[in-house]
Amino acid sequence: MTSETPALTTRRSLLRGFVNATAAVIGAALAGIIGRFAVVPRARTAEQWIRATPLADLDPGTPRPIIVAVPRQEGWSRTRANETVFLVWDGLTGVRGMSATCTHLGCRVRWDEGAGRFKCPCHGGQYDASGRVVSGPPPRPLSAIPARINDDGDVEVRL
Amino acid sequence: MRRILEWLHGRTGYRSGLATLLEEPLPPGTGWWFTLGSVLLFLLSVQIATGVALALYYAPTPDHAYQSVKFITNEVTLGRFVRGLHFFGASAIVIGVGLHMLRVIAFGSYKAPREVTWLTGLVLLNIVLAFALTGYLLPWDQRAYWATVVSVNITKLVPIAGSTLATLAGAPDGHVGALTLSRWFALHVIVLPAVLVLMVVGHLFLMRKHGISGPIHPRAGLTRPFYPYQAARDLTVILIVAAILAALAWRGLPALERMADPADATYVPRPEWYFLGLFQLLKFIPGRLEIVGALVLPGLVMTLLALLPWIDRTPERDPRKRPIVLGGVIAGLIALVGLTAGGWRDRPRTLPPGAWSLREIAGASLSHSQNCARCHAAGGAADPLSQLAVTRPVSWIQNHIGDPEVIAPGLRPSREVDEQVIAAIVAYVRRGGTPPTVPDQTRQAAVVFSEHCIRCHVIDGDGGTEGPDLSAVGLKHDLSWLRRWIARPEAVKADAKMPAFGRKLSGAELETIARFLATAGVSKSSSAVTTRTR
Repeated sequence: MTSETPALTTRRSLLRGFVNATAAVIGAALAGIIGRFAVVPRARTAEQWIRATPLADLDPGTPRPIIVAVPRQEGWSRTRANETVFLVWDGLTGVRGMSATCTHLGCRVRWDEGAGRFKCPCHGGQYDASGRVVSGPPPRPLSAIPARINDDGDVEVRL
Repeated sequence: MRRILEWLHGRTGYRSGLATLLEEPLPPGTGWWFTLGSVLLFLLSVQIATGVALALYYAPTPDHAYQSVKFITNEVTLGRFVRGLHFFGASAIVIGVGLHMLRVIAFGSYKAPREVTWLTGLVLLNIVLAFALTGYLLPWDQRAYWATVVSVNITKLVPIAGSTLATLAGAPDGHVGALTLSRWFALHVIVLPAVLVLMVVGHLFLMRKHGISGPIHPRAGLTRPFYPYQAARDLTVILIVAAILAALAWRGLPALERMADPADATYVPRPEWYFLGLFQLLKFIPGRLEIVGALVLPGLVMTLLALLPWIDRTPERDPRKRPIVLGGVIAGLIALVGLTAGGWRDRPRTLPPGAWSLREIAGASLSHSQNCARCHAAGGAADPLSQLAVTRPVSWIQNHIGDPEVIAPGLRPSREVDEQVIAAIVAYVRRGGTPPTVPDQTRQAAVVFSEHCIRCHVIDGDGGTEGPDLSAVGLKHDLSWLRRWIARPEAVKADAKMPAFGRKLSGAELETIARFLATAGVSKSSSAVTTRTR
């Protein structure tokens, strides 16, 4: 190799440059394409008002767990997920909705009628009837879910 | 950085490994013909990379395979492009393998001591074909399904072991279904890649062990290292191939057909182009001797190729001085090209894949009049029909439309729904998506045709075969003849077999269908069925 003339050396380094650059460009292009491809596209299902229950099924002041079928899109899979929502009717025209998901680690809370509290079975978190944390580890109150009464006298929630 | 690499080299000695890989001494005169192996390595890397990417979204079950492929194509960023790369990459590999083999044969490179290298190459050819076969099923559309039914039936022809092989392929009794799909998926993404990598490593190891065969007439001179001299040629060709592949993938791949429907007897299956020759060959062979065309002949060709180094054993490498091999290969090529071209020419006339059939258009229209939208609406009890992911069998959908009590008691009054109306709505729901906008007359004609005519007549490949095909009836008869014929056939021709529709159809319906048929086949652009959608 040491006996090569300068012209040959130039040619050699040019070829090296070409080979390395081309391989890098092709590799980078492929990696870029697949990197973009691998990002999961955002689901197009927006929040919508979903009929939950007739108002007649609610008692004023008492949280009621209602199961709502929410359309879900996970990639190619379109399903309806059952979500539990607590609804509290104020006895007039107002309904409050609360998620049944404990803000601590995501277990489902239950309404304890006797104690008048939501209790989480996992780590003992407790919330009052309006969803505020009373005791235990939960960091935040139960999240509110928009709810309304429609013209047919049905309660709708936005999920 | 330099210090880290120094350390790594001290611990692993990677530089000498790299040097062994790159500084392969090549004989003088090694030219462009010797780039094909590298091109194949590049194409295989593309298939592996895009294949892994596709596997991120693909679901190998009959319920979801089609939906997931559709999702990849339509929703995922660059999804159509990545699927296109994988699709056209497969064809490119078949072409590349063919050219590589021809080069090896022409240069006599399989001769001693390289016989085993040749044999590993032949095994690789078969692995590539197995990849093509198993991959073809995965999109689970009509094309995929019916082509696989054919290959499974060919498998069953194998003497003695036939039905065992079919069972192993997940298709007991030749039934292609969930088991077939998951097994072929496992073959395509787990078994075959593993075998492929092993064989490629073996092939390359042997190539390095014996050195490459070099030009036909060895030249005097010094050897040159692979890198960068031959590597530059390789990369040049790879760059061209990559550009062609990207251009093809960008232009888009053939549209998915409808979801696989095992009940559809009208579908004419067709293989991918590289199996067309074999497909055409089977047409010339009487059914009794099918096994000859399907297995014996291809098997003979493979055996002949495998024995080539021992048939052609003189050290002579110049193809002009090996007339038998040269003649045999040319004859084989002519036969293959001829058969493939014949198979290509014989393809059946069907709808362009993006188009909606009359029945599907009618189904979209009928679904409105059947109050489907009462529940199937945005925010309603069920997903809108146009977004429905069909995962139920056809029989379930038929029951659901025909007798709602079965599915949702009390939800909807039960009533008699005509069988053809159900079939049209099923066709629409299975098609999915938003129907194309067509003129009102066409939509009404589609409804009339799908309710009354389709039982006996075909238009554009869909319908019954008792009556004549009406795809081009407008070329044979004019409007006034059609009006009279549909209303009272026996008034036109005494021994007419067709029942009279004068009373079954309203005046408006009769006029609509007659006008539609009068233009059928006359000018394709005015017909509903060429309306393309994505």
